[in-house]
Amino acid sequence: MTEATDLAERAGDRDPRIGLRAVSALRRLLEQLEAVQVRSARNQGWSWQEIAAELGVSRQAVHKKYGRQ
Amino acid sequence: MFERFTKDARAVVEGAVTHSGRVGARTVEEEHMLLALLDREGTRGSFALTSLGETGFRESLERDLAEARRRGGLSRADADALSGLGIDLSEIVSRVEEAHGEGVLEPGGRGGDGRRGRRRPFGQEAKDVLVRALRIATARRDRHIGDEHLLLAITLRGGVAAEVLADHGVTYESVTRVLYGGTGAGAGAGGENGVAEAG
Repeated sequence: MTEATDLAERAGDRDPRIGLRAVSALRRLLEQLEAVQVRSARNQGWSWQEIAAELGVSRQAVHKKYGRQ
Repeated sequence: MFERFTKDARAVVEGAVTHSGRVGARTVEEEHMLLALLDREGTRGSFALTSLGETGFRESLERDLAEARRRGGLSRADADALSGLGIDLSEIVSRVEEAHGEGVLEPGGRGGDGRRGRRRPFGQEAKDVLVRALRIATARRDRHIGDEHLLLAITLRGGVAAEVLADHGVTYESVTRVLYGGTGAGAGAGGENGVAEAG
Protein backbone atom coordinates (compact mmCIF):
# COMPACT_ATOMS: atom_id res chain seq x y z
CA MET A 1 0.00 0.00 0.00
CA THR A 2 2.78 2.37 0.92
CA GLU A 3 4.43 1.54 -2.36
CA ALA A 4 1.29 2.53 -4.21
CA THR A 5 1.18 5.82 -2.33
CA ASP A 6 4.84 6.45 -3.12
CA LEU A 7 4.21 5.75 -6.76
CA ALA A 8 1.26 8.09 -6.80
CA GLU A 9 3.39 10.81 -5.24
CA ARG A 10 6.17 10.27 -7.72
CA ALA A 11 3.74 10.48 -10.58
CA GLY A 12 2.89 13.91 -9.19
CA ASP A 13 6.55 14.84 -9.47
CA ARG A 14 6.26 14.39 -13.21
CA ASP A 15 4.04 17.45 -13.25
CA PRO A 16 5.99 19.74 -15.57
CA ARG A 17 4.95 22.77 -13.55
CA ILE A 18 6.83 21.56 -10.50
CA GLY A 19 9.83 20.46 -12.52
CA LEU A 20 10.03 23.73 -14.42
CA ARG A 21 9.55 25.74 -11.25
CA ALA A 22 12.44 23.87 -9.66
CA VAL A 23 14.64 24.64 -12.67
CA SER A 24 13.71 28.30 -12.56
CA ALA A 25 14.31 28.47 -8.80
CA LEU A 26 17.64 26.72 -9.21
CA ARG A 27 18.66 29.18 -11.90
CA ARG A 28 17.85 32.17 -9.67
CA LEU A 29 19.62 30.58 -6.74
CA LEU A 30 22.61 29.91 -8.96
CA GLU A 31 22.78 33.58 -9.93
CA GLN A 32 22.89 34.62 -6.28
CA LEU A 33 25.45 31.96 -5.43
CA GLU A 34 27.65 32.99 -8.32
CA ALA A 35 27.50 36.63 -7.27
CA VAL A 36 28.48 35.69 -3.71
CA GLN A 37 31.41 33.58 -4.86
CA VAL A 38 32.68 36.07 -7.41
CA ARG A 39 32.51 38.87 -4.82
CA SER A 40 34.35 36.72 -2.33
CA ALA A 41 37.05 35.82 -4.85
CA ARG A 42 37.54 39.46 -5.83
CA ASN A 43 37.79 40.42 -2.15
CA GLN A 44 40.53 37.83 -1.80
CA GLY A 45 42.42 39.37 -4.68
CA TRP A 46 41.58 36.92 -7.46
CA SER A 47 41.90 38.21 -11.00
CA TRP A 48 38.99 38.12 -13.43
CA GLN A 49 40.97 35.61 -15.45
CA GLU A 50 41.29 33.23 -12.50
CA ILE A 51 37.59 33.54 -11.62
CA ALA A 52 36.59 32.97 -15.25
CA ALA A 53 38.76 29.86 -15.46
CA GLU A 54 37.10 28.32 -12.39
CA LEU A 55 33.63 29.15 -13.69
CA GLY A 56 34.48 27.82 -17.12
CA VAL A 57 33.54 31.00 -18.94
CA SER A 58 35.46 33.74 -20.69
CA ARG A 59 37.16 36.53 -18.76
CA GLN A 60 35.08 39.05 -20.70
CA ALA A 61 31.84 37.35 -19.67
CA VAL A 62 32.67 37.53 -15.95
CA HIS A 63 33.96 41.05 -16.16
CA LYS A 64 30.94 42.24 -18.09
CA LYS A 65 28.61 40.74 -15.53
CA TYR A 66 30.36 41.74 -12.32
CA GLY A 67 33.06 44.22 -13.32
CA ARG A 68 31.10 47.38 -12.65
CA GLN A 69 30.44 46.51 -9.03
CA MET B 1 2.64 54.94 -20.58
CA PHE B 2 3.24 57.12 -17.52
CA GLU B 3 0.95 59.89 -18.70
CA ARG B 4 -1.96 57.57 -17.96
CA PHE B 5 -0.82 56.99 -14.39
CA THR B 6 -2.88 58.68 -11.69
CA LYS B 7 -1.23 60.78 -9.02
CA ASP B 8 -1.53 57.83 -6.63
CA ALA B 9 0.11 55.41 -9.05
CA ARG B 10 2.95 57.84 -9.64
CA ALA B 11 3.39 58.19 -5.90
CA VAL B 12 3.77 54.41 -5.64
CA VAL B 13 6.40 54.39 -8.38
CA GLU B 14 8.31 57.20 -6.67
CA GLY B 15 7.87 55.54 -3.28
CA ALA B 16 9.30 52.32 -4.72
CA VAL B 17 12.44 54.20 -5.79
CA THR B 18 12.74 55.57 -2.26
CA HIS B 19 12.33 52.12 -0.70
CA SER B 20 14.93 50.70 -3.03
CA GLY B 21 17.34 53.46 -2.00
CA ARG B 22 16.59 52.96 1.68
CA VAL B 23 17.78 49.36 1.59
CA GLY B 24 20.66 50.14 -0.76
CA ALA B 25 19.38 47.92 -3.59
CA ARG B 26 20.82 48.38 -7.05
CA THR B 27 17.48 48.25 -8.77
CA VAL B 28 13.86 49.02 -8.00
CA GLU B 29 12.07 45.73 -7.51
CA GLU B 30 8.52 44.52 -7.26
CA GLU B 31 8.91 44.23 -3.52
CA HIS B 32 9.71 47.95 -3.27
CA MET B 33 6.53 48.68 -5.19
CA LEU B 34 4.55 46.63 -2.72
CA LEU B 35 6.12 48.49 0.22
CA ALA B 36 5.29 51.80 -1.46
CA LEU B 37 1.70 50.62 -1.97
CA LEU B 38 1.49 49.86 1.74
CA ASP B 39 2.57 53.43 2.52
CA ARG B 40 -0.36 54.96 0.70
CA GLU B 41 -3.49 56.15 2.44
CA GLY B 42 -6.90 57.00 1.08
CA THR B 43 -6.27 55.48 -2.35
CA ARG B 44 -8.10 52.66 -4.09
CA GLY B 45 -5.13 50.38 -3.69
CA SER B 46 -4.78 51.08 0.01
CA PHE B 47 -8.53 50.67 0.44
CA ALA B 48 -8.25 47.15 -0.97
CA LEU B 49 -5.27 46.35 1.24
CA THR B 50 -6.82 47.66 4.45
CA SER B 51 -10.12 45.90 3.69
CA LEU B 52 -8.38 42.56 3.27
CA GLY B 53 -5.49 42.78 5.71
CA GLU B 54 -5.85 42.13 9.41
CA THR B 55 -4.17 43.95 12.30
CA GLY B 56 -0.41 43.76 12.07
CA PHE B 57 -0.76 43.03 8.36
CA ARG B 58 2.03 45.32 7.28
CA GLU B 59 4.57 44.09 9.83
CA SER B 60 3.80 40.47 9.03
CA LEU B 61 4.09 41.15 5.31
CA GLU B 62 7.42 42.90 5.72
CA ARG B 63 8.72 40.02 7.80
CA ASP B 64 7.77 37.50 5.12
CA LEU B 65 9.33 39.62 2.39
CA ALA B 66 12.56 39.91 4.35
CA GLU B 67 12.63 36.15 4.83
CA ALA B 68 12.18 35.51 1.11
CA ARG B 69 14.89 38.05 0.32
CA ARG B 70 17.26 36.23 2.59
CA ARG B 71 16.59 33.02 0.63
CA GLY B 72 17.88 34.74 -2.49
CA GLY B 73 14.47 36.13 -3.40
CA LEU B 74 13.02 32.65 -3.74
CA SER B 75 9.44 32.04 -2.67
CA ARG B 76 8.19 29.18 -0.54
CA ALA B 77 6.80 27.52 -3.65
CA ASP B 78 10.33 27.71 -5.11
CA ALA B 79 11.73 26.13 -1.97
CA ASP B 80 9.17 23.34 -2.19
CA ALA B 81 9.98 22.70 -5.84
CA LEU B 82 13.68 22.53 -4.99
CA SER B 83 13.07 20.12 -2.14
CA GLY B 84 11.39 17.88 -4.73
CA LEU B 85 14.85 17.63 -6.29
CA GLY B 86 16.38 16.87 -2.93
CA ILE B 87 17.74 20.38 -2.51
CA ASP B 88 17.32 21.88 0.92
CA LEU B 89 17.23 25.62 0.30
CA SER B 90 17.38 26.63 3.96
CA GLU B 91 20.45 24.45 4.43
CA ILE B 92 22.15 26.16 1.49
CA VAL B 93 21.24 29.59 2.82
CA SER B 94 22.57 28.86 6.28
CA ARG B 95 25.85 27.41 4.97
CA VAL B 96 26.46 30.30 2.60
CA GLU B 97 25.61 32.81 5.32
CA GLU B 98 27.95 31.03 7.70
CA ALA B 99 30.82 31.42 5.26
CA HIS B 100 30.03 34.80 3.74
CA GLY B 101 27.86 36.68 6.21
CA GLU B 102 24.21 37.17 6.98
CA GLY B 103 21.94 38.28 4.16
CA VAL B 104 24.64 37.67 1.56
CA LEU B 105 22.25 35.89 -0.82
CA GLU B 106 19.83 38.79 -0.96
CA PRO B 107 19.23 39.76 -4.58
CA GLY B 108 20.14 43.14 -5.95
CA GLY B 109 23.02 43.57 -3.57
CA ARG B 110 23.05 45.66 -0.42
CA GLY B 111 25.10 48.18 1.38
CA GLY B 112 26.71 51.25 -0.20
CA ASP B 113 27.97 50.20 -3.57
CA GLY B 114 28.34 53.76 -4.74
CA ARG B 115 24.94 53.89 -6.38
CA ARG B 116 23.34 55.98 -3.70
CA GLY B 117 22.02 59.15 -5.24
CA ARG B 118 22.46 57.79 -8.71
CA ARG B 119 19.41 57.02 -10.80
CA ARG B 120 18.11 53.60 -9.89
CA PRO B 121 16.88 51.47 -12.78
CA PHE B 122 13.72 49.40 -12.55
CA GLY B 123 14.38 45.68 -12.44
CA GLN B 124 12.69 43.30 -14.85
CA GLU B 125 10.03 42.25 -12.33
CA ALA B 126 9.08 45.82 -11.50
CA LYS B 127 8.88 46.68 -15.20
CA ASP B 128 6.66 43.69 -15.66
CA VAL B 129 4.33 45.02 -12.94
CA LEU B 130 4.00 48.34 -14.79
CA VAL B 131 3.24 46.63 -18.09
CA ARG B 132 0.71 44.30 -16.49
CA ALA B 133 -0.97 47.20 -14.68
CA LEU B 134 -1.47 48.87 -18.04
CA ARG B 135 -2.87 45.66 -19.50
CA ILE B 136 -5.25 45.17 -16.58
CA ALA B 137 -6.51 48.74 -16.81
CA THR B 138 -7.06 48.29 -20.54
CA ALA B 139 -8.93 45.02 -20.05
CA ARG B 140 -11.13 46.71 -17.46
CA ARG B 141 -11.61 49.67 -19.78
CA ASP B 142 -10.33 51.96 -17.07
CA ARG B 143 -8.93 55.06 -18.62
CA HIS B 144 -6.30 55.67 -16.00
CA ILE B 145 -3.80 53.46 -14.27
CA GLY B 146 -4.25 53.77 -10.54
CA ASP B 147 -2.44 52.18 -7.63
CA GLU B 148 -5.13 49.50 -7.51
CA HIS B 149 -3.99 48.34 -10.95
CA LEU B 150 -0.43 48.12 -9.65
CA LEU B 151 -1.67 46.00 -6.76
CA LEU B 152 -3.63 43.75 -9.12
CA ALA B 153 -0.59 43.43 -11.36
CA ILE B 154 1.55 42.31 -8.41
CA THR B 155 -1.00 39.67 -7.39
CA LEU B 156 -1.14 38.39 -10.97
CA ARG B 157 2.62 38.13 -11.47
CA GLY B 158 2.85 35.17 -9.13
CA GLY B 159 6.22 36.21 -7.74
CA VAL B 160 7.35 36.40 -4.15
CA ALA B 161 5.26 39.52 -3.47
CA ALA B 162 2.14 37.78 -4.78
CA GLU B 163 2.81 34.73 -2.66
CA VAL B 164 3.33 36.78 0.49
CA LEU B 165 0.17 38.76 -0.25
CA ALA B 166 -1.82 35.58 -0.88
CA ASP B 167 -0.69 34.26 2.51
CA HIS B 168 -2.43 37.31 3.94
CA GLY B 169 -5.63 36.85 1.96
CA VAL B 170 -4.76 39.36 -0.74
CA THR B 171 -5.15 37.74 -4.15
CA TYR B 172 -6.24 38.93 -7.57
CA GLU B 173 -9.71 37.57 -6.86
CA SER B 174 -10.08 39.09 -3.40
CA VAL B 175 -8.83 42.50 -4.52
CA THR B 176 -11.21 42.54 -7.51
CA ARG B 177 -14.05 41.51 -5.22
CA VAL B 178 -13.33 44.35 -2.78
CA LEU B 179 -12.85 46.94 -5.51
CA TYR B 180 -15.42 46.00 -8.10
CA GLY B 181 -17.71 43.54 -6.34
CA GLY B 182 -18.90 40.25 -7.83
CA THR B 183 -16.46 37.67 -9.10
CA GLY B 184 -12.84 38.14 -10.03
CA ALA B 185 -13.73 38.60 -13.71
CA GLY B 186 -12.22 41.59 -15.44
CA ALA B 187 -14.62 43.80 -17.36
CA GLY B 188 -14.85 42.61 -20.92
CA ALA B 189 -12.27 39.93 -20.28
CA GLY B 190 -14.86 37.20 -20.71
CA GLY B 191 -15.13 34.70 -17.90
CA GLU B 192 -13.79 34.47 -14.43
CA ASN B 193 -10.22 33.78 -15.41
CA GLY B 194 -10.09 36.11 -18.37
CA VAL B 195 -7.44 38.55 -17.18
CA ALA B 196 -5.67 36.00 -15.05
CA GLU B 197 -5.06 33.75 -18.03
CA ALA B 198 -4.05 36.59 -20.28
CA GLY B 199 -1.41 37.60 -17.74
